[in-house]
Amino acid sequence: MDLVESYREELRFARKPLGRALLVLGLLALAALPWWGHRSWLAWGSMVWLYAIGVIGQNLLIGYAGQVSFGQAGFLAIGAYTFGHLRIAGAPFPLALLVAGIAAGAAGWLVGFPSLRLKGPYLAIATLGFGTAVYQVFANVEALSGGRAGLPIAQLRPPGGMDRDVYVYLLYFALFLLFTAVAYNLVSSWVGRTFVALRDSDIAAEAMGVNLTRAKLLAFAISSFYTGVHGALMAQYLGHLEPQAFNVQESLNFFVAVIVGGVASVEGSVFGAAFAILVPALFGDFRWAVPVLFGAAILVVMIFEPLGLAGAWLKTRLYFRMWPFR
Amino acid sequence: MAFRLPGAALLAALLLAGTARAAAVPGVTDTEVTIGITGPLSGPAAAWGSIALASEAYAKYVNEQGGVHGRKLKIVLKDDGYNPGRAVANFNEMKDSAFAVVGTVGTAVLNANKDLVAESGLPLVYPLGDVQVFAREPKAKTRTVFQAYPDYTDEGEFLVQEAVKLAGTKKIGFFGQNDDYGKEAIEGVKKGAAKAGAKVVGEVYYEVTDRELGTQALKMKESGAEAVLLYSTPVHAAGLLKEMAKIGYRPKVFASFTLYDRDTMFRLAGDLWEGAYFDAALGLRGEPAADKLIAIVTRIDPKLKGREGFCVQGAVDILITVEGLKRAGRNLTREGFVKAMEGIRGWTADGVSAPVNFSPEHHHGYNAVRLMQAGKATDATAKQITPYVHFPPHF
Repeated sequence: MDLVESYREELRFARKPLGRALLVLGLLALAALPWWGHRSWLAWGSMVWLYAIGVIGQNLLIGYAGQVSFGQAGFLAIGAYTFGHLRIAGAPFPLALLVAGIAAGAAGWLVGFPSLRLKGPYLAIATLGFGTAVYQVFANVEALSGGRAGLPIAQLRPPGGMDRDVYVYLLYFALFLLFTAVAYNLVSSWVGRTFVALRDSDIAAEAMGVNLTRAKLLAFAISSFYTGVHGALMAQYLGHLEPQAFNVQESLNFFVAVIVGGVASVEGSVFGAAFAILVPALFGDFRWAVPVLFGAAILVVMIFEPLGLAGAWLKTRLYFRMWPFR
Repeated sequence: MAFRLPGAALLAALLLAGTARAAAVPGVTDTEVTIGITGPLSGPAAAWGSIALASEAYAKYVNEQGGVHGRKLKIVLKDDGYNPGRAVANFNEMKDSAFAVVGTVGTAVLNANKDLVAESGLPLVYPLGDVQVFAREPKAKTRTVFQAYPDYTDEGEFLVQEAVKLAGTKKIGFFGQNDDYGKEAIEGVKKGAAKAGAKVVGEVYYEVTDRELGTQALKMKESGAEAVLLYSTPVHAAGLLKEMAKIGYRPKVFASFTLYDRDTMFRLAGDLWEGAYFDAALGLRGEPAADKLIAIVTRIDPKLKGREGFCVQGAVDILITVEGLKRAGRNLTREGFVKAMEGIRGWTADGVSAPVNFSPEHHHGYNAVRLMQAGKATDATAKQITPYVHFPPHF
């Protein structure tokens, strides 16, 4: 193993020159996907990037702060519909995106209040209720959901006659990088340490001077902000909104992505998002067997790698770092 | 900062360098024409995936007969799990590699893909979903869309008037799905009820995820409705009928054309389906024209036995495409295909449907249903009550 001499060094994302070079190369390859990959990969890629933002948010809440929530679809819907209404009212994309995140974040802050009293499965049930309630409101209040026609959202206009699929892919990739960088910084700052302390033992955390109320509400607000941005990006991507997209199943998908990717790991969240989006796509030719294979893949990951794909990734890296010694 | 964004400048350079590509005629070679299908082969609506499988089987039959103008049909079948996001990815994959997309299922899927279809000029033949998706679009954006699907509002208006006549009651109950399908139907049902001097006394909705319909059955009974209109999936219709029977409530049943597959309904609801009236937009098992298609499809894909209704739909999707390809000639382009499709008039798929009429003005070529009545559960028969009734096209 390499020697870490300071906390500052411990926090560095890629410590060695080789690792840094590989990371930059990998990111450049992904950024250049439109020029070397098949066109359909752009669609899958865009979906992975936007999904990853939501899964990172969910992981901040579940993995780092230890607050189990099954209400993510509710925040997703709030973000998506806020974004949709703002875009229809003529707001530019970045502003609508920001407000969508803030609206979902505010909802998260409110929903966080029960978490001050509830723990574990009880909190899960309370948030599940929130998710279902939001879905029902959107399904039944036509002024919010756009009624039978749904909510049509105008496509993005790429600058300078650029191909739209390429533009959307690169824009989503850039946003993904931004939100990932913010998440890395969050978890390695006092915020992340507060979350972890809260998760491991809230009594001990309080004794150490952590303000539990503030930490829990902050965890919900940040996580929901991410989910709201995910909802907004999805709304823009689909170009059309209807309440069906935000049912309970969606919250469960999030949960699966977090667990399979690896709890309390930002890169794990990205792996989880890629898993949730790409596995059904890759197995597409197996038709009816897709859900079976998906379920089996989850089982295999859980049994052989409880830390999820992030755990597998860590072990692979360690193996090569020590190579050829074991 | 613990993590920096690498190569931001390079990214900006890449952004500026984006280019568009164009193929000659996508999906067409000297020997093959590629037809894309995306459908719910898995997921909550997987039952409808049979339509896509039937299309694939019927395309094999067309190839056995020598194909069209010397080209074989190559079917590329993608699963979208009834999920709009996955369908967008599938459409993206097919828009440059397939000549046309045939028979997509789901209103949400169509909504998410309508812009892509308009911009790429991809022919979309016989999509199954709310007609209003395309009717609300400007004409220029539906140029490559050819739909043959009854409008929910028109059908609701027709069905309720028949119900008032046949059940001899003014008290109508409505059971619908809590989305655009149910909402558009109720609009037509209310309009039709007013015309017939009847009243919708009970309006009961369910969520697609609901599995227990006792409350809905009770609400329907309390409304005092003497005839109940069903705008639901087969599973939910059967569930409601069973719950209503449990509490001793047996109103006359009138079902939307989405429940036209009586074999499925008898399997799910048993003898509760006896005597039920239902709309049908296509030929049914037991009618010679439909039986011919069913025999072909089930010979090639025996798994589809027992899903005869879907076999007919899947085969008709390919039949109309083949008709368009034939008329477009050997020198195949998407533009030529669209023109050829616009020239189709009075086409009935050898008697399986009422006449389909496309024209440059109208791409909603078929908006017709007829009323049927289910016979006994023991032999699963059905008889026709009214001939096809045509409503005006919506786009």
